Formats: sequence, C-alpha cells, structure tokens
Amino acid sequence: MSIEEQYRTRAKELLSGGAVKMVIGYGKGTTASRRRPLFISSPDDVERLVLDDACITNLSGYLVSEGLLSDEKRVAVFLRPEGIRAVNILAAESQLDAEQIVIFGFDVSGTEVRALKGIHVEEFSDVIGSIKEGAPEASEEELFEKIEKMSPQERFSFWQEEFAKCIKCYACRQACPMCYCRRCIVDSNQPQWVNTSSHSLGNFEWNIVRAFHLSGRCVECGNCDRACPVNIPLRLINHRMAEEVLGAFDHFAGMSKTQEPVLASFKKDDSETFIL
Amino acid sequence: MAKIGVFICHCGENIGAKVDCTKLAAAMGEHPGVAVSVEYKYFCSDPGQESVKRAIRENNLTGVVVAACSPRMHEATFRKACAEAGLNPYLCEIANIREQCSWVHTDNGQATEKAMDITRSMVEKVKRNNKLQPIEVPVTRRALVIGGGIAGIQAALDIANAGQEVVLVEREPSLGGHMAQLSETFPTLDCSQCIMTPRMVEAAQHPKIRLLTYSEIESVDGYIGNFSVRVRMKSRYVDIDKCTGCGDCITKCPAKKISSEFDCGLGKRTAIYTPFAQSVPNIPVIDKANCIYFKNGKCKICSKTCQCSAIDFDMPDTFVDLEIGAIVVATGFQVQNNTMYGEYGYGTYPDVINGLQFERLASASGPTAGKIQRPSDGAEPQTVVFIQCAGSRDPSKGVRYCSKICCMYTAKHAMLYAHKVHGGKTHIFYMDIRAAGKGYDEFSRRAIEEDEAAYLRGRVSKVWQENGKLMVRGVDTLLGRPVEIAADMVVLATAIIAQPDAKDFAKTIGIGYDEYGFYNEAHLKLRPVESSTAGVFLAGACQSPKDIPDSVAQASATASKVLALFSKDMLEREPVVATNNEATCAGCWGCVLACPYNAIEQKDILDRSGRIIKRVASVNPGLCQGCGTCVTFCRSNSLDLAGFTEKQIFAEVMGL
Repeated sequence: MSIEEQYRTRAKELLSGGAVKMVIGYGKGTTASRRRPLFISSPDDVERLVLDDACITNLSGYLVSEGLLSDEKRVAVFLRPEGIRAVNILAAESQLDAEQIVIFGFDVSGTEVRALKGIHVEEFSDVIGSIKEGAPEASEEELFEKIEKMSPQERFSFWQEEFAKCIKCYACRQACPMCYCRRCIVDSNQPQWVNTSSHSLGNFEWNIVRAFHLSGRCVECGNCDRACPVNIPLRLINHRMAEEVLGAFDHFAGMSKTQEPVLASFKKDDSETFIL
Repeated sequence: MAKIGVFICHCGENIGAKVDCTKLAAAMGEHPGVAVSVEYKYFCSDPGQESVKRAIRENNLTGVVVAACSPRMHEATFRKACAEAGLNPYLCEIANIREQCSWVHTDNGQATEKAMDITRSMVEKVKRNNKLQPIEVPVTRRALVIGGGIAGIQAALDIANAGQEVVLVEREPSLGGHMAQLSETFPTLDCSQCIMTPRMVEAAQHPKIRLLTYSEIESVDGYIGNFSVRVRMKSRYVDIDKCTGCGDCITKCPAKKISSEFDCGLGKRTAIYTPFAQSVPNIPVIDKANCIYFKNGKCKICSKTCQCSAIDFDMPDTFVDLEIGAIVVATGFQVQNNTMYGEYGYGTYPDVINGLQFERLASASGPTAGKIQRPSDGAEPQTVVFIQCAGSRDPSKGVRYCSKICCMYTAKHAMLYAHKVHGGKTHIFYMDIRAAGKGYDEFSRRAIEEDEAAYLRGRVSKVWQENGKLMVRGVDTLLGRPVEIAADMVVLATAIIAQPDAKDFAKTIGIGYDEYGFYNEAHLKLRPVESSTAGVFLAGACQSPKDIPDSVAQASATASKVLALFSKDMLEREPVVATNNEATCAGCWGCVLACPYNAIEQKDILDRSGRIIKRVASVNPGLCQGCGTCVTFCRSNSLDLAGFTEKQIFAEVMGL
C-alpha cells in the first residue's frame, strides 16, 4: 500500500472514530504539479487527500488559525520535518498545545515519498536531531555561496536590489507559520517605525526586521520564498540567520516543544565576551 | 497645545565656550511648541532653579527641557524644582549638551549645530511625556549579610546595633573568614585572632543577628526592599541544639590525617572537626568525604562518644526561606594557586609556601604553635626569601592588578620572622614597595631599618633544590647584577583573586562583576559600596583586593546604606516600568523568560463564563526595574516602557 493510501486509511479511522476533528493535508491543485491545502472533517472526503513529491508547503501555520484549537479537540496535519519543527516552536511559544496535534509525518527525497514514524512531536526528535547534525543540503545553492563570497558592500547592494522589488504585499508574513502575531510591527502606526510605502528604506526595514524576528525560529520550510510574488530569495537571508544562531548559541530551531527562545534565554555558561 | 520651556545652561565655560548658547536659545525659541527659551550661566544654582520655577508658573509650562550636563548629574535637581513649581517631575527632561557635545567637540559652529539637534530632539520627546507617579513599595526591615569574615561581621554588627534584624550567612562551619587565619596584623602587629574573636562572639550572641553557618545561598528573587531568599543549611550531621561543643568526638575520631583547610594544608584535622579552636559556633561538622562511616559504613565512634546524642548520620540538608529588605555581599577572596609558576617550584618543593601559609606558621594557634618551622623537616629556616608580586601585576601568567596587601604583609612576615628567629636572614624581592595607608610606610621602613629585611629590587627567575637548600636566582636591578641566594624557605606573596565561584554567585543574586570575578560597584568613586542592583551592597574583598581597615570601613558604609533604606516604611521607586498592550500581545512568553527580575507573569483573559479567551503577559510594576529588555524582545511591539515609550523615542529620533 502506498503511503498515500496508508495515510488516507489512517485519516479515515481518526475522523470516523472522532479522534481528530479535522485533517489538514494536501489536495489537487490548479495544475498537475501544484498542491493546495485541504481541510477535511468528514471521513468521506479522505479520497481527496494527495501525498506525493509536490506536497511542499508547510501546513503548520494553519494550526494557529484563530479558534481552531480552542475547543481542545485534536487536529491531524501532514507535515514534513520542517513542519514538525515548526509545531515544536509554536508549542514552545505557547501558541498551541502539542498534545492536540496528530502528525502525519513524511519526507521527500527526489520523487520518493517516505513516511516518518510517530504521531506526536516528541517522537520525531531523532529525525530533527539528524537534520541538525546532517550536512547542509546539497541543493543549498550556488547563489548562497556567491553571496557569502561577496564583500559587505557588494552584499549590501545585492540585497538592496532584491529588496527594491518588494511591493510590501506581506505574502511572506502570511505564509510563514512563525508570523502569528495578531498585530504585526508593520501594522503599528503609533509610532510608525516601518514605512508602509514601497520604497527602498521601508523595504529594507521590513525585510531586515522580519529576518531578525525569525532568527532562532525559522525552520527554513521555504513558505515565504515560494509565496513571494517578486521572487526575492528570502530563504537565503533566513538560512544565514539560522547558521549564525547555530554557531553562536548551538541553537537549532524547533528541537523540542520546550525549547527556550534563543534571544530570550540565558545559560550560565553562555560566553560573555561582549560584557565589559 | 504644548508650552515647553527650554533652559540652556552655560555651565560656566564648560558649555558656553563651545556652544553659542544665545544662538541656541534663539533657535529653540523659534521651535514649534516652545513657549520660553532662555540661557543662564548656572541653572543648577539657587537663582537658576528659581528662574526655572518662575518660568513654569508664569507661563503655565507643560514641559521643561534643561539643556545642560548629563542627566546623571542634575536630573534629580531639576525634576525636584519642577515638582516644587507644580509641574509633574516626569515632564522635565535633560538635554545633555555637555558630556555629549561641548566636551567632545573642538569646532564651535558644529558643536552649536549639534546642541540644537540634541535640544530639539528632547523638546519633541517632552511634548509626548506623560505625568507619572512614583511607585511605592513596602520595605522588609531585615538585612541579609552573605559572608562571615570581618567585613560581613562588621556590617551585621553595625546594622544590628542600630536595632534592625540581620541574618548572617557563612558557608564554612565557623565565622571568621580569612582574618581568623592571620597571625599578626599590619601595621600595629596586634594578634589577628585576639581582635577578631570578640567580634565573632558578639555577632553570634547578638539578639538581632540570626547566624546561619555552614549554609549557602540557594536562590534570590525579588527586588529592593522585598527580596525572597532561600538558604541551604548544609547538613553538619551534628545537632546544633544538642551539641555542647565538648570536643570529645573530635578527640576520638580515628580519621586524623586530613589536610586542614584552615591551616592551608600545613596541619591535619579529623573528619569530625571545627576549623579552629575558637570557632563560632563551637559545633563540629562531619566532613562526609573523609568520614570513615560514610566511606565504609562502619565506625560511628563519634556517635558512641557523644554524651548528648547530638550526632545524626541521616541528617538532611534543610532550607530556610527568608524575607529580606537589603543584601550585603561580603563573600571575600581566595589566594591564587601558584603552581602556574613552575620556575618557583610551588607544589614541587614543600618549603616553597605562599603568604597565607606563612601566616599559619607564624600564628600562635597554627600547626607549629607559632614557631617558624619549614614544612619539609620542621627545621628552623635560617634564610628566608620572600618573592613579592608572585601573581599580581603579571599580565602574562598571573593577574594584571595589584593585590594591594602583599607589600605590607611581606614586610610584616619579615618582621615576625626576625622576632622569632634571631639571627635569621630575610631577602625580599620586590617590584615597588606600595605602602600607602595610615602608618604603612613607617611600618615597611621599620622592617628594613629595625628588623633588617633586605629588600632587593628585581624579579626571581628560578628556584631549585641543591644540597638541601632552595637556590633562588634573581636579579638586583638597582645594582644591575644577578644574585643567587641559598635559602631554607621561600615565601610567595600570592595574588588575591576572586572566589572561584564568584561569577556563578553573582548570577544567582543578579549583580555585575569584572573580568576577574570581582563584583562591580555602581560608581567607582561616588557609589563605591552599592552594586548596580538596587538593595544589594558590597563589602570587603569581594569587590577588589582590600586590607582589613578598608574592608571594615566599607562594611560600615554598607550598614549605613542599609539603615538609610530601612529608615522608611515605604520605598519610592521611579515609575519607569514596562506595560503590556494586552490587545496586541501574542502570548509567546518570550518576555517572561527574558525578564531578569521575574517581573512578567502569564495572565489568562477569561470571558464571562470563565473560558480562556486569550493568554497574555502581564507586568508586575512592583517587580519591574524598567530595564527595557522585554520591550526590545517583543516582536509585536506590545510592551512599552513608561517614560521611554516608543512614541517618545520615535519623536526624539525624528526631532534630530
């Protein structure tokens, strides 16, 4: 039985038995290579679930939709390892109770889809640990290497050019499971720290602020990057921040549901080279 | 409509010589919302303050900007003046045009331009200032003194003698600290224990002092006036209430060959022991690591000997929770281990000892009953070489600072040796003789002139053993030639260093420390006994190397600070505290973790039926110290700091 079949069966069992009230998965998209999020709450709909190598989007962000989990019922969700890490962070930041989340874990290598064993986030700690230890993915791109080699001035002008394209649509924010604030800093206008109009200063401010807000939290699922209508390579800036945080504090975002946020926590053995 | 008064101070020539104050006053007078803009030679003077008050009354000012020196100097002065004129003091701000402008610039034109920017920026801020009311918090009138050395004892006695309660916590089994280990003290050569032990007894018997020995601080929460402290009383295995201190158990204990910490390894002690004869309290403790019963499960001789059944091998550690208003930290120092100087042979040759060990040799209560005998064979050394700055003032291997007391105690050692070993020779290698203090220079001269201490200015390069002698090779830089001395004993004037756990302890109580682990004072000159944490004071060598007179003086100073704090029922605190916008708070709790004062709590917002609608952060204004850490952490900008609101800061920036 294919994984798709297995997961459909499991979804059916869970929904008909009332163990979960909803399954968030993938359904057919507008073209053959696209998948769209699917929310089903009836066991009759499980045949609409699709699971193949085109299921890329990190669906964890839907879990914090207002009111979804407030009845304390369980919700099942299809997640790749990045998504599972995101659930850990959301739990660590009190946005959800991990007990309510039933995971349909899977991973994709090439065109092959592989099931990940486990139901609750804790059961995936080995998978997450191996990603932390593992070598950076090979697909980690020429462009990143190219930017790393640039001088600070060159890098600055590279990003200036990229951010010049930004139209402040905030699609990156909407797609990101970590951007759950009810009022984003850019929506605050007393005072208005970040200029809302789409010019280079405001664009810079917005994208840098977002990168900072994601440092130590980004799981590099790529949702923002894919959502960007003007193709700013946002993944690269977040990847760089993740590397910094890993190097400086040995912090790998989403290791566990009790992980303390890197910028708010303090260990007695943290290096203090910056304190005079 | 804002009516701001701008008062530009010349500070004599300090500001006036660089900044064109007339031009500045004129420019500020043109700025929207400014009702008055005047200059004066010294606004901090009485007539200056009067003119500010008059201007407030006459013009019904809604805010005041004093363009002058740093707010650390006169903010309080002008805020008080404003309050006296009926204006809320938090509507007064200082524009620093001295330290941040006139003092650091050479070009008058540019300095004036910058002064305008700074002042304008403050005017914009003041327009958005709110009236704030000081926060009142109650004060618990009970002091905690941490460390039972001379500094801690002095602080505790001074506070207790003024009628306030004190809890004195010492981690060793007895009070006394390092001073109890010393033989005689410079510059008077009075016996250290003779002047120390009456203080120890006084502290132990004082009705206002609660003594907790063999105890350590487990945790400190809270804030000035209202600390909650948990103390771990380590198990002595001896019931302090039953024990009479007869000492039979000590006599009978078969584990007799344990190196005595109090005698710096020169003497031996038993497994059940008091550190020294006059220990306070005179109640022994069992050293679990060396006790035969704890190691083998058999022995209990002490228990059989004890007529009061005071020994309890199952005694657990206990905890004491204390409500405390002020804390005096007097945790003292350690001496550096000199094994890093391989060339001096400390740790290799038994007759190379450090200064503290010499104190024990010279002490009447020491392992040799005050006779100077070398550790290797007990012979009386005929030639002793002292090496000063063995660790101090040595950036390459030791520490960069001067340990302050070594010049004096080395002179004292030479003197004591001369008094005890007639005809003995002393050689002292030194870098400089630092003898600043009352009677100090006279004392070191006396060592040279009366007791024939031979001072050699220079360093020692090597110490080695040859034919039963310690050969010391050094240089006499005044004569410009190498010297070699055959000595019987070598004494290293070891550096004073911070307690090895000083940094961890600082984190437990939340105070700052320097690169060496010595605790930082709030201001080196003007607030030398206060830590940067309100309500925590520093006494003795935990702050920097100190001799006994300095430690005692500083301890009394902390007592006066504590008593000033205890003189009020309520404590007024600056209302600069964080507030949270519960409507926009995302409830991520990052601020709860980030807050160094545990001032942020989780709060549930419920609907009428009691169901949780939302969980948010809530700041306890009594605990908040206004540091702003939470504000910088908050991603949704829900947290804000009164007196430094986002709006105010933004206006300040835009005003530039």
